[in-house]
Amino acid sequence: MSLHADVSATFSADGAESFHVDAAFDVDRGESLVILGPSGSGKTLLLETVAGFHPHDGPVTLDDRRVSDVPPEHRDFGFVFQDYALFPHMTITENVGFGSRYHDDTRDATALLAELGVSELADRYPPTLSGGEKQRVALARALAVRPEVMLLDEPLAALDVPTRQALRDDLADVLTDVTAVYVTHNRTTARALADRIAVMNDGQIVQVGTPDEIFERPSSPMVARFTGSNAITIEDAPSLRAVLDLPSEGVAALRPEAIGVGDDGDVRARVERVVREDVTNRVTFRVDDVTVEAYTDRTPATGEYLWLTFPAERVHVCGTRVESVPS
Amino acid sequence: MGTSTETRFSLDGVGRGSLVVAFIALQACAFVATYITDRPTWYALFMIGSVAATAYALDGDAFTVGVATLGSVLMIVLALPLFLFVARQSPSLVIEKALDSDVHRVLYLGIYGPLLAAILSLVFGVPLAHLLAQGFPGQPLVESLVDLPLVVPHSVAGIIILFGFGKGGAFPSISILGSMAGMVLAMAFVSAPYAVNATREAFESINDRLEYASRIHGANRWETFRRITGPLAVRGMVTGGVLAWARAVSEFGAVAVVAYSVDFFYPFAGKKVTGQHAPVFVYNTYLQGGLEQSGAVAFLLLAVSGLIFLLVRYLTGDSTSTRGVV
Repeated sequence: MSLHADVSATFSADGAESFHVDAAFDVDRGESLVILGPSGSGKTLLLETVAGFHPHDGPVTLDDRRVSDVPPEHRDFGFVFQDYALFPHMTITENVGFGSRYHDDTRDATALLAELGVSELADRYPPTLSGGEKQRVALARALAVRPEVMLLDEPLAALDVPTRQALRDDLADVLTDVTAVYVTHNRTTARALADRIAVMNDGQIVQVGTPDEIFERPSSPMVARFTGSNAITIEDAPSLRAVLDLPSEGVAALRPEAIGVGDDGDVRARVERVVREDVTNRVTFRVDDVTVEAYTDRTPATGEYLWLTFPAERVHVCGTRVESVPS
Repeated sequence: MGTSTETRFSLDGVGRGSLVVAFIALQACAFVATYITDRPTWYALFMIGSVAATAYALDGDAFTVGVATLGSVLMIVLALPLFLFVARQSPSLVIEKALDSDVHRVLYLGIYGPLLAAILSLVFGVPLAHLLAQGFPGQPLVESLVDLPLVVPHSVAGIIILFGFGKGGAFPSISILGSMAGMVLAMAFVSAPYAVNATREAFESINDRLEYASRIHGANRWETFRRITGPLAVRGMVTGGVLAWARAVSEFGAVAVVAYSVDFFYPFAGKKVTGQHAPVFVYNTYLQGGLEQSGAVAFLLLAVSGLIFLLVRYLTGDSTSTRGVV
């Protein structure tokens, strides 16, 4: 079943400036749409609004059925929360089977727990579970009601790295052929799970596309920076203009992994910082008045000069200025 | 406040529980000794000194010793009258009063009336508490009304109730003055804030997303209340109910104004009888029979109230556990 949402809602907290969410997106049947954005961009509020937890203007439709005027219990969504939201006074089996009395066609709780590898938890209570176990149970609870659309709000955010990786792999399997909207601020997760990505900032969706489109051809410097690309202000980097066919002004986006690092190349650059990552080094170079990040197996010293190679086909001009982007 | 991480006197070999028992035993011995010698002032001084010495032995920090010593002064004010009240009762008089059928009626009414008031407070207070926990326009006004009985002198509360529901007030068909309904209403007026506020705190402590999770997986708002928010707030409701009941048991002013003496069905006699709410009865006994007579009745009321309070806490202690927070 496909989902279409074009919602607008205003949120206000005591003493705080009101926050406005105004966003539209479509998800095709069986597709996973990842809403990617920095903290505070309104991703969770958007998802909760689509689920019907907050009053809103604008339609939410499942195929041709308009659900924006019906309460959450009649929208046919499953929801996985970042903080699990398991019912602490119910056993795991009772949690997973919670929706069975409200739906005609539900999946067996025991079978679901077995499928997700947590069948031994059936008689336990949520507070005794680890974060990964809780999230698997929360996933089972959502799947149990055979929802038309799964809504997932940063389900991996509160987990440690090994658990997160394991559950991300399982999610990729579970969400195959499931219509899903997945909210995250983690671009690795987004790239791993998305058929399409919608980048959100300040309550609005600023770009929608396939992962390759979002990561390789960002529509703005904000999207470029948030998805991990270099966002290079062209007028501040004449050396780049000399080797690449670039306009006189604007912002050039380029993935750090696309830049070659060696003893010869297009531009000579000074090493400013070296950060060791899992299997490689992330190196920050100074080129004219801009900094450029690239990955290399070499471990250069700060102040050393190396040559960078810029593949012209992967440079994408995407805006007129570099904005600061919250992490 | 955090627990102390270092003590001058190691508790490893003794155990905190043993230390508490030893401290209580020491206090009991000291009280008995000073009571027998008719020197209660000495016990007051001993209690303050022993608290200061214990604080010094356990912590040694001047601040801790200072706050413990000052706090013990308040404990003297609260505890010493109670100790002396209990110690000075004449067992024979207490037994005599315990066998008095008039006192039986008073005790029955003193428990039954407040129970009705607590139930009334909860039946209508729980929905209001849920509403307050969720928030709504004009909430501060409603909060002020809920808390008003906490600051209104209780005799004034009684007068207000008579103006509101007595002759010429709302519901003129219901007799308030001198009736059981009036007594329960007066008790509910002064005790409802406890039921509402305790329950509201319980609702506020529940993560909104538990309600969201219930709704999105099929439960409507009634079902969500029945299966999720209600059970998770039961402890707060019980606490609110017990507090409301206890407050109603102790109410004097409003009840004395609205329902000084009432007719009520007394099941042990199988008929309607006339009686007074226990605090009113105790006051009357004091005026007519003096401190000794009223003290014996007050002792019985205190004992029964204390037993019921402990019983309720015991019965609801485990069954209302939420088994932690997710």
